[in-house]
Amino acid sequence: MTGYLRAFFANRTARPFAVLVLIVIVLGIGDDGHGRVLTTSTAYDVLQQFATIGPVALALGLSMMVGEFDLSVGGILSLAGCVAVMAGSGSPAAGLLLAVTVGALGGLLQGTIMTWLNLSSIGVTLGGLLTFGGLSYFLTGNTTIGYDRLDVALGVNAPLLGIFSARSLTAIILFLVATFVVSWTRFGRDLLAVGSDRRAATIVGIRVDRILIAVFVISGLLTAIGGGLLSYGLAAASPTALADTLVPGAAAAILGGVSLSGGKGRPIGIAGGVLVLSMLHSGLTAIGVPPFAHWIVTAAVLFTVGILDGEELSRRVYSFRRAVGQRPDTPPPSASSILVRQQADH
Amino acid sequence: MNSIGGQASEQPASVVSRLWSIRLDKASLIQGIAAVAVVIFAVSTPGFLSATSIRSLLTTVSFVGCVAVGMTFITLSGNIMSFSIGASMSATTIVFMVSVVLGLVPALILAFLFCAALNGIQGWLIGVFRANPLIISMAAYSMIIGSAIYITGGRGVYPLTNKANILTANIGPLPGPLAAFLFVAIVGQLILSFTRFGRNIYLVGANPRAAKASGLEPWRTVLWAYVAAGLCTAVSAVLVAARYRSGDMEHGIGYEYHAISAVLVGGTAIQGGAGSVIRTLVGTVFIALMQGLLILRGFGIEMQYLLIGLIVLAAVMLQWKGRT
Amino acid sequence: MTSAGLAMHAVPENQRTESAACAGLSASFFPGSPILSVRDLSKSFGAVNALKHLNADFYSGEIQAICGENGAGKSTLVKILAGVDRPDTGTTCFDGKVCTLSSSKEAQRLGIAMVAQELSVCPDLSVLDNIWLGSMDVPFLPRRKDLRRRAAEALSLLGAEHIALNATVGQLTIGERQLVEIARMLTRNARVFILDEPTATLSDNEIDRIFVALARIKRQGRSVIYITHRLAEVFRICDSVTVLRNGEMVGVSRTADIDRKKLIEMMLGRPFIEMYPEHGYTEGEPILRIDGLCVPGAVRDFSAVVPRGDIVCIAGQVGSGAESVVRTVAGLVYNATGSVRVNGNPMRLGSAEEACQHNIHFVSGDRAEEGIFSSLSVTDNLVATRLRALSRFGFLNPKSLQAEALRLAGWAGVDQRRLRARADDLSGGNQQKLAFGRCLGGTQAGVLVLIEPTRGIDIGARAEIYQLMRGLCAEGYGLLVASTDLEEVIGLADAIITMYRSRQVGSYRGKAINMQDIMADITHPLK
Repeated sequence: MTGYLRAFFANRTARPFAVLVLIVIVLGIGDDGHGRVLTTSTAYDVLQQFATIGPVALALGLSMMVGEFDLSVGGILSLAGCVAVMAGSGSPAAGLLLAVTVGALGGLLQGTIMTWLNLSSIGVTLGGLLTFGGLSYFLTGNTTIGYDRLDVALGVNAPLLGIFSARSLTAIILFLVATFVVSWTRFGRDLLAVGSDRRAATIVGIRVDRILIAVFVISGLLTAIGGGLLSYGLAAASPTALADTLVPGAAAAILGGVSLSGGKGRPIGIAGGVLVLSMLHSGLTAIGVPPFAHWIVTAAVLFTVGILDGEELSRRVYSFRRAVGQRPDTPPPSASSILVRQQADH
Repeated sequence: MNSIGGQASEQPASVVSRLWSIRLDKASLIQGIAAVAVVIFAVSTPGFLSATSIRSLLTTVSFVGCVAVGMTFITLSGNIMSFSIGASMSATTIVFMVSVVLGLVPALILAFLFCAALNGIQGWLIGVFRANPLIISMAAYSMIIGSAIYITGGRGVYPLTNKANILTANIGPLPGPLAAFLFVAIVGQLILSFTRFGRNIYLVGANPRAAKASGLEPWRTVLWAYVAAGLCTAVSAVLVAARYRSGDMEHGIGYEYHAISAVLVGGTAIQGGAGSVIRTLVGTVFIALMQGLLILRGFGIEMQYLLIGLIVLAAVMLQWKGRT
Repeated sequence: MTSAGLAMHAVPENQRTESAACAGLSASFFPGSPILSVRDLSKSFGAVNALKHLNADFYSGEIQAICGENGAGKSTLVKILAGVDRPDTGTTCFDGKVCTLSSSKEAQRLGIAMVAQELSVCPDLSVLDNIWLGSMDVPFLPRRKDLRRRAAEALSLLGAEHIALNATVGQLTIGERQLVEIARMLTRNARVFILDEPTATLSDNEIDRIFVALARIKRQGRSVIYITHRLAEVFRICDSVTVLRNGEMVGVSRTADIDRKKLIEMMLGRPFIEMYPEHGYTEGEPILRIDGLCVPGAVRDFSAVVPRGDIVCIAGQVGSGAESVVRTVAGLVYNATGSVRVNGNPMRLGSAEEACQHNIHFVSGDRAEEGIFSSLSVTDNLVATRLRALSRFGFLNPKSLQAEALRLAGWAGVDQRRLRARADDLSGGNQQKLAFGRCLGGTQAGVLVLIEPTRGIDIGARAEIYQLMRGLCAEGYGLLVASTDLEEVIGLADAIITMYRSRQVGSYRGKAINMQDIMADITHPLK
């Protein structure tokens, strides 16, 4: 039993997709034949959710793959939303471009501070989170700013080909590009190497500082794209509206097989993790479960994956099984197969 | 006595540096200068030195302060921060306000037990499985919010009793919350400095593997650090609930960020093992002074948010260890 | 050259003129000018001077050994040559031109490739990716086919065709990972190849293949710099040997002109045994008895007895299981089975707390990770395990803490004036003494278990650590040491147990201890 489980969980990238299938089945059963789950409108909802959580999850996931943690995504998301809405009344493209530039600069600033002063990313990005959040309060004057281009607001969310929208297509393209970069380019390989063993990466000649800065720039960039489009879609920006994205983003990333210790996980896995959360969210709504369930489900996901990735899980499982009287492991081969040569004393 | 390494300069052996728990270096100097500058600036601001303005400032700061002392235990024990501490404070205000009809003492006991358990469970998971503290506290945050919406339907609790009003009274010249904050801070610092548990927090925070190799079970220390954090948070929760005469999930929003800001601005190391409650006290007061100043000088709340962010960023940058 | 039979070329102490920076020092030995040379190289880590005004030359078409004791500065030197560390002072010349080796990228550009002493592979990446990691030949969009072919060639050159290019390195054995690293070096189109103890984890067969590969490189007219502890390898494949001691150059010689005994004398600079204190051989009653110890994947059926007052060493290469035995006894391995008895009392395995209660204390060789609390003061470090004894109802008395720290510092030889200093301001040797001090001073003598007690510690401090260990024996402690450093094992131990690939191979006591048998045991036990 545990053997299968172990093999299943060994492939971290496949894990979320297996969970996804499981969830669709469970939701299908919970639907009880009403046909509310497997519909195009649910699929559209799932992809809209995907577009909301996806970029943040990808940004966080990339920073985790390199062995860091970018807490600032929440702040950059708000800031980018505000910037896009405030600057995008004339040309939405220009607004988005400015938002993305701000996001990338934010990432550059944090990455530079971190590598220059040799600081942990959590501290710096916590400062970044508060600073960028504060900046968005400052820019908006602590109010909600409406977006006067309703055509754009409707446009980014308008269904395309039944289930897609401009926003979800953008998110999908971001994931495809990230998958390509991580799996097929030297940069992606170096990124994973830095996350896997930073000392080894330094010794073989990878410029670790540059990789780290690049990852934080990319993280800011991705988050800003997500935040800008999201605010366009909501036709409004406020410093508090997008506050609760850090938790689902992190949940999706670690569900997608990214490890906080770095080096593990792939963008495609993160996409799977985002899809799982989105599917749960939309599916539960579709079958009429009240909204608090999303919180509980996110919590359950985080608790489960957090504990499964715990360093001492195997030790505790071993002790537990021994305590309940099972023999945890078969003993190794007997002494007869081992050559022992005793030397005479003195 | 031989010494193979070169002779480092002798560290000043003062009570101050002991309580400060970090050597007096450039970073401390900058912090000191910043603190003095803010005080001078504050005193020179018209209207700042009025009794009412100081009182209201110190009262509001106390709520965050208690939580920040709790967060100090978590940060020192090597677990960075808890995202759920604001939510658990909110939940505790509800528990307190629901149970206050039973009487003040049972309500207090319930509130403290509830908050300690809420954080203790997280500490247990983090300690026993060495699960990531950020992930676990995010999970707890979601769990608390979800459960609260399920149980209360998202509404606050407004009990028709004034049994909790005594908690808003003044103690001598001090506002009640401020007295409570000072009490929590002093007790917290005494625990850190003069108990085995306190020492263990430093050991586990500085190097959990070495702590384990020297026969400590880190999970116990981590568990109790979270319980201590829960108790500190509960103090804040009952004071807030009494002040606003309600229990509501809104009460604690953002407290986790305010608290960790105070901890970091005080100069406690984000990676754990170095820092103190006294530092957090200073950090809390420092941030509050800045906020008070901005209000008096006519800036809005948005400026405060921005400034706190920049101060925290600067405080983190002061923790640099130099290139290796 | 043959005077005194040593054939050693004395190196000028102060060769510091820039103009002469690139000229060969020992032109009489070698054809042509050196491809790589260093002048007046100094490097210190904190309080430790790892290299002191070092001059050395390396030539094309040669395999040149660098020999020296642990802490002589060999690894520091090659790390500087490979651009990993930067020197404090000094110049490096490559191919007659002064160059700055500011990064390993820069070294690679010049044509220097290295296999570092510490295993430098990324466990989450595939073998193929690890082989090409950091290589400047790889374009932004790698052409996989070409890379696969060249990686496979390098592996087959080492006789490691069985390692699949798609396998994740984390699933390979330590020896296979080492081969991957050497393959990486071979794929670099370098002119100077540096190998820092590449054979420590390999079997004889694998070592033979590596030597063939190195000989090939030499025939191609390229240069190999080879660091090893195994003197037999020096005489087998190296053309010349450079000896370092205590961060200074002692001399250079053709291997043909020197014999093993003289080389050892050069390396040590003193009679062999002096550094190590007198042996004890007390043969006291057993204080620790291990029977049938097994750790899945690491140790198979290990048994040993540690008498009071003796030092028992477990010798074995990296990954042999010696470390796991010690960690198990320290209570740090949760899934071990077997019996461990302390003074006849059985101990539950898997709990460090329980081990401490049985008076077993653990000193790790990895000080930063597991040994000391680097951000805390010396006092805090020393009293870390004493807190229970020094507290009443959980409350501590600062005065008694201070007194205890003073006592322990005196015992372990830590400067008592520096009790307030931060632990990471101390030198490696003093940090190690700190770790010892933390373990000592219980009411009665117990068991001390250690892993690599002198890793990364300079020679003077090593001698003091050995004295300290022997002093503990006199107090009635029993010591169990896991070490990969054979000289240390032989110099220090009263009894030696050898391990190879999770298995116990042989055991030696007193006069039966000899280098040849032990070396044979830990490298190829089934011969």
